[in-house]
This record gives sequence, C-alpha cells and structure tokens, in this order.
Amino acid sequence: MSTERRLDGAQQRAEAPASPAPERTDVGLQIEHVSKDLGGRTIVDDMQLEVKAGELTCLLGPSGCGKTTTLRMIGGFLIPDRGRVLIGGNDVTKMSPDKRPTAMVFQNYALWPHMTVFKNVAFGLRLRKLPRQEVSDRVAQVLELVGLTHHVHSYPARISGGEQQRVALARALVLEPKVLLLDEPLSNLDAKLRVRVREDIREIQQRIGITTVFVTHDQDEALSISDRIAVMSGGNVEQYADARSLYREPETTFVASFVGAMNSYEATVVPGGLELPGKLVVPCDDLSATGDGTFEAGVRPEDVHVSLNGDGAPADVVREVPRGHYKEIVLNAGPNEVRAFVSADLPPAEHVRISFTRALLYRDGVLQRSSAPVSV
Amino acid sequence: MRRRELREGAQGLLMVLPPVAVIAVFIGFPVVAAIAYTLGRAGGPNSVVASLGQRQFIVQHGVTLDAYRDVLGNKTIHRDLWATVWVTVLATLVVVVVSWAIALYLRLADTRLARIVSGLSVVPLFIPVVIASYAMLVFYSSDGFMRSVAYHLGWHSFPTLGFTLWCVFLAEVWVNIPFGVLMMSSGLNGVPNNLIEAARDSGASMPRVVRSILLPMNVIPTVIVATFTAIYVLGSFTVPYLTGPTAPNLLGPSMSNFFSAFNQPQQAEVLAIVVFVLALGIGAVYVWANVRTGKRSAVAP
Ligand SMILES: Nc1ncnc2c1ncn2[C@@H]1O[C@H](COP(=O)(O)OP(=O)(O)OP(=O)(O)O)[C@@H](O)[C@H]1O
Ligand SMILES: [Mg+2]
Repeated sequence: MSTERRLDGAQQRAEAPASPAPERTDVGLQIEHVSKDLGGRTIVDDMQLEVKAGELTCLLGPSGCGKTTTLRMIGGFLIPDRGRVLIGGNDVTKMSPDKRPTAMVFQNYALWPHMTVFKNVAFGLRLRKLPRQEVSDRVAQVLELVGLTHHVHSYPARISGGEQQRVALARALVLEPKVLLLDEPLSNLDAKLRVRVREDIREIQQRIGITTVFVTHDQDEALSISDRIAVMSGGNVEQYADARSLYREPETTFVASFVGAMNSYEATVVPGGLELPGKLVVPCDDLSATGDGTFEAGVRPEDVHVSLNGDGAPADVVREVPRGHYKEIVLNAGPNEVRAFVSADLPPAEHVRISFTRALLYRDGVLQRSSAPVSV
Repeated sequence: MRRRELREGAQGLLMVLPPVAVIAVFIGFPVVAAIAYTLGRAGGPNSVVASLGQRQFIVQHGVTLDAYRDVLGNKTIHRDLWATVWVTVLATLVVVVVSWAIALYLRLADTRLARIVSGLSVVPLFIPVVIASYAMLVFYSSDGFMRSVAYHLGWHSFPTLGFTLWCVFLAEVWVNIPFGVLMMSSGLNGVPNNLIEAARDSGASMPRVVRSILLPMNVIPTVIVATFTAIYVLGSFTVPYLTGPTAPNLLGPSMSNFFSAFNQPQQAEVLAIVVFVLALGIGAVYVWANVRTGKRSAVAP
C-alpha cells in the first residue's frame, strides 16, 4: 500500500521538470543519450536503450565496457553528465536512489551482516512504517517466492552463497519496484548453481512481470534468460536484439566475435562463393551481401558444411574435439583455419571438402546487407 | 581424537608459557605482594616499604581492611574520586562523539578538506604528552594566549582554565582524539560502500543509514575507543599532574602524593587497587561487547 504511495509520490515529483511525454505503460525504462565521465574518461558515451515493461534485458559486454556504470545510473547511484533516464515515462535522471522505484541486487549481495535474513528483507518495509503484521506477511510472501522458507532468523554469514543470493533478490523484490537491477548476481556461485538460479530468477521475473536489467559478461547467461540483449562495447550499445537475431545476424564484427564462435576471413565475392586468402574458392549459397572489393567474412562453425567427397574446397583435418552430441573439427583450408561443428557420426578423415551454407559480410566492422537475399 | 586434542592443547600451553612466566614473576608477584600489604601484611617483600611508611595498618595474623577504611573514609579522597569519575566520563563521551563525527565525515565525504582534517586529527599522536600539557597551560592559564586574545577583543572575564579540572579534561581529550579517530575511521572504512548503497536503495535517508547500518556495524570500534579512553584517563598521571589543580585532582597525582609527599605507601597502594577495580569494570564491558558481536557474525562452517 504505502509502497505504492511512495512510488506515486516519486513520480509526481519527477513529472514536473521537462517530461511532456504522457505516461506510457508499455515502456518500462528508457535511457536517452546518456553519457558519464569518470576519472577523466568517458565511460558511457551517448547511450540509448529502451526496455519494455515486463521485459528482461541483459547488458552484455567485456569487462570495463561500462555495464555497471550504466546500471548505477539507472539505480541513481551515479548521476549522468548528459542525457535522461526515464522510468514508466517519468524523468528520474536526478532522483536519489531512496526515491527511485528501482531496486538493485548487488554482485556480492550486500546483505547487512548485523541483521537476520528477516530483518534484511523487512528493512525497506519498516522504513515505510508499515504495521508489524503486514511487514511479516510480506516478508514471508517474498521469501516464499524466492524459495527460502527456513533460515529466516539466521544471520547472513551463516547461510550459503546461493541462499544469500535469494535473500538479496527477496530484499529487492519486497518493495515492489518498477525496475529490478541485477549486477552480475550469479558470479559468486558455482557453475551448477548458477544455471539453476538464473532459471529461477527468470521464472520469478516472468511470474511477477517486472521490468529487469541484468548485467553479465557471460554470453551463455544472457542468451538463455533474456528477452533482449544489449551488447555493449566502449560505453555504447553495439546491438540490441533478441538472442536469435543477435546470434544469426550480428550487426558488427565485435558482436559477431563476442557472441558465439565465428570464423572470420578477408574475402572477395566470386561467382558461386567466396574467395579466401590463398586463392581458395569456397562455395556459399547464402551471402549477406555482394559487391566488389574485399569484405570481412564471418562464418559460424555450424554453417560450415563438411563432406568426405564431393563439391567444395579441399581442406585438411588438423584435429577433432568430441563435444558430446556433435564434434568440433579444426581444418586447414589453404592458409586459413576453419572451425566446424559437425555431426558426431561423421567418420574420421584426413582430407575433406568444405562449403559454407551461410556467410555474413562486413565492411569497416559493420554488417553489409543486400536488399534482397542474394543467391549466386 | 581426544588424545590428539590434549596433545595439541599441551603444545599450545608450552608455547605461551615463557611470556606468561615473565608476567607472573615481574608483574603478578608484585601485584600479589601489594594486595597483601593493603590488607595489613607487612612481611617478606613488603618489609622494607613497611619499615619506612607512616600511618600503616598492620596485622600479624589474618587480614584487616583498616587501610581501605582509612582511605575510603578520607574526605579529600572522596573529592579526588569524584573528580576522577567526572573527568573520565566526560572526556570519554567527548572523545567518542568527536571521533565518531570526524570519522563519519571522512567516510562519507571524499574531498580535499576531508583529507586535511584526517591528517590534522592524528597530529596529537606525535606530540609528547608533557609538551601538550605545557601547551595547554600556555593557552589557558591566567596569563595565557586565550585570555590575552579575549581581553583584546573586549572580553575581560574569559575564564582561567589552567590548573583546573577543565584543563585536565581538555588535555585528556586532545591526547585521546587521534586514537579515537583512527579506530573509528578504520571501523567505518570497513563497512563496504554497497551496504550503504543497498540501504539507500531500500529507501533510507542518509541519517537513517548512519543509524541503522553504520552505527551497529561500528559497535566494536566504539566500545574499544570508549573503554581504552576511559582506562587511560582513569590511570593518567602526567596530564592531571601538570595541568590540574593541587586538589582535588585525579587519583593518579593523588596516589603519587600519598606515596612520596605524605609517605603513606599503604594508602597509595589502596588507591591503586581502587583504580584497578574501576578499570576492571570497564574492561568487562569491552569483553562483553566483543562476545556479543562475535556470536552473530561467526562465519558459517
Ligand atoms: N569512480 C570511477 N572513477 C574512475 N573510473 C571509473 C570509476 N568507476 C568505474 N570506472 C572505470 O570505468 C570503466 C567501466 O567500469 P564499469 O564498472 O562500468 O565496467 P563493467 O562493464 O561493469 O565491467 P566488469 O564486467 O568488469 O564489471 C572501467 O574501466 C573502470 O575502471
Ligand atoms: Mg561491473
């Protein structure tokens, strides 16, 4: 109840300065041309991002690309130098964290060591002066939501990392924020737990339909739980798309190399395929573009077709790596190294023929597209 | 299993034995002798001092509390005791509050001014107590700097603090501030930023963060500063001897008076034991606070 009142109050205050846009219920979060300088360097540079209400967006990028900085600006721990942050259409750019309808789950959980699990979760509710009964009801409810029903009166130091993580999530959710922010929340968990907890987080997020920004540098994590992924590099969003398009059509060579494995070559388009260094012509049916001059060609390992005899460019097998239900083979095609994912049934061979089923062509690091799909 | 534990225990004991033995011989034994003397036993190691002292209460058999009655019934000592208590309590309070405030400011503001303040606050650490005491007198005596300046500014009745208990109090605060600030700062710096940010995120204002996060997380350093300051002031000698009044003064100078000026060593030792018991009480608070916080923050096995 009172949380609602607080959030509404916060919005009214935010509505006063230049925010003519009427409330749109479909946008959860908008980041408009936001920049931030820290220590004399531009860390986030004219960033744009829009997260729909109820959507889970991952900020994915290498270390130091500005993910945490962006998240801290959304949470109000940093004020952008330029640009605006809007939540539900309301400008919150300069609002302090205690007034913002956001809640953050910190990387190392940031649980207060002198408070029990219950008190950690109840803290925000107590600040809002809710009646005792309501506080304990809501705490119990949210702890059940995150699947933590015992250890309620333990101190954080006495529970496991996975449980601490759940407490941190519960503490963020209990205030019913409009935007949930998570900064690499799984990085302190072991590999197995990480997979389970990320699925739990996703399920809870979908169940209560909360707009969520999830920071990670683990592409696997991002691909498996996001509605959309913003790949960041150098303080900017390189590409913002769902997992499938990000993987199938990376807009830049940076995204191509950062998400998934990619073979890349200097290549020219010739009739019937691509010519790689060493005058090697590899047949390819599906090129993203055509034209003269050299391109940077990117080919996913699963788009390399390997056959024992038949058409295609000759290649020598360097090694095979079993991967369970498929195998990865590393080939030398002239001076070029080619990685291919092939069926585990393919018999071992020394000399094979390769062709590409699909290749993406880049120029100056940007994906080139012909208006119509090209067949050569 | 049990035998191994026993053996390890014995090894540990063996390792601490030398220092314990040194303490037992050079500190423990004199303490026991002194206690025996205050209870009226003048034999053995006490015989020399007993042959010189005056106004002694000696028994040949058993013990007597007459020396304690004599000291604790003495009106002058009542006033000394009272002076000691209020100077100790007030100085401790002020040291705790001031060092908390400075440390809090240093923790939350990362400015040049904050760095200068943090540098200045430890300066007293490098100034010998004797020098500081005389400096206090230069400032606060009847012909001191403060009164001269006040006089020129037209305030002719500026109080003379030199050789009063107020001067003792001020000097004690000066001496104890650096330790307080260092201790509180390291305690507050041990509170990670994101614990503060998490509280802000939950809707806490800055004063609320101080009350609900920083204060409870800094209990141990606060207790350390309070108890150490109190014990230091309680047993201090140089500061009250140099800057304080003739009487009443703290128990430190008064102990010294009984021992040498009045030639009443038994009474001096009784006073020492009174101070020791007071310090023991303060020490108990420290131990209790440690045990209490230790319980909740123990790391999971
Ligand atoms: N307060 C600061 N002062 C100066 N530089 C800073 C500050 N905070 C962050 N930076 C710098 O900004 C850059 C981006 O930091 P940020 O924490 O946003 O990276 P990140 O993408 O979250 O990386 P990671 O994956 O390692 O967490 C880093 O190079 C960092 O050194
Ligand atoms: Mg980060």
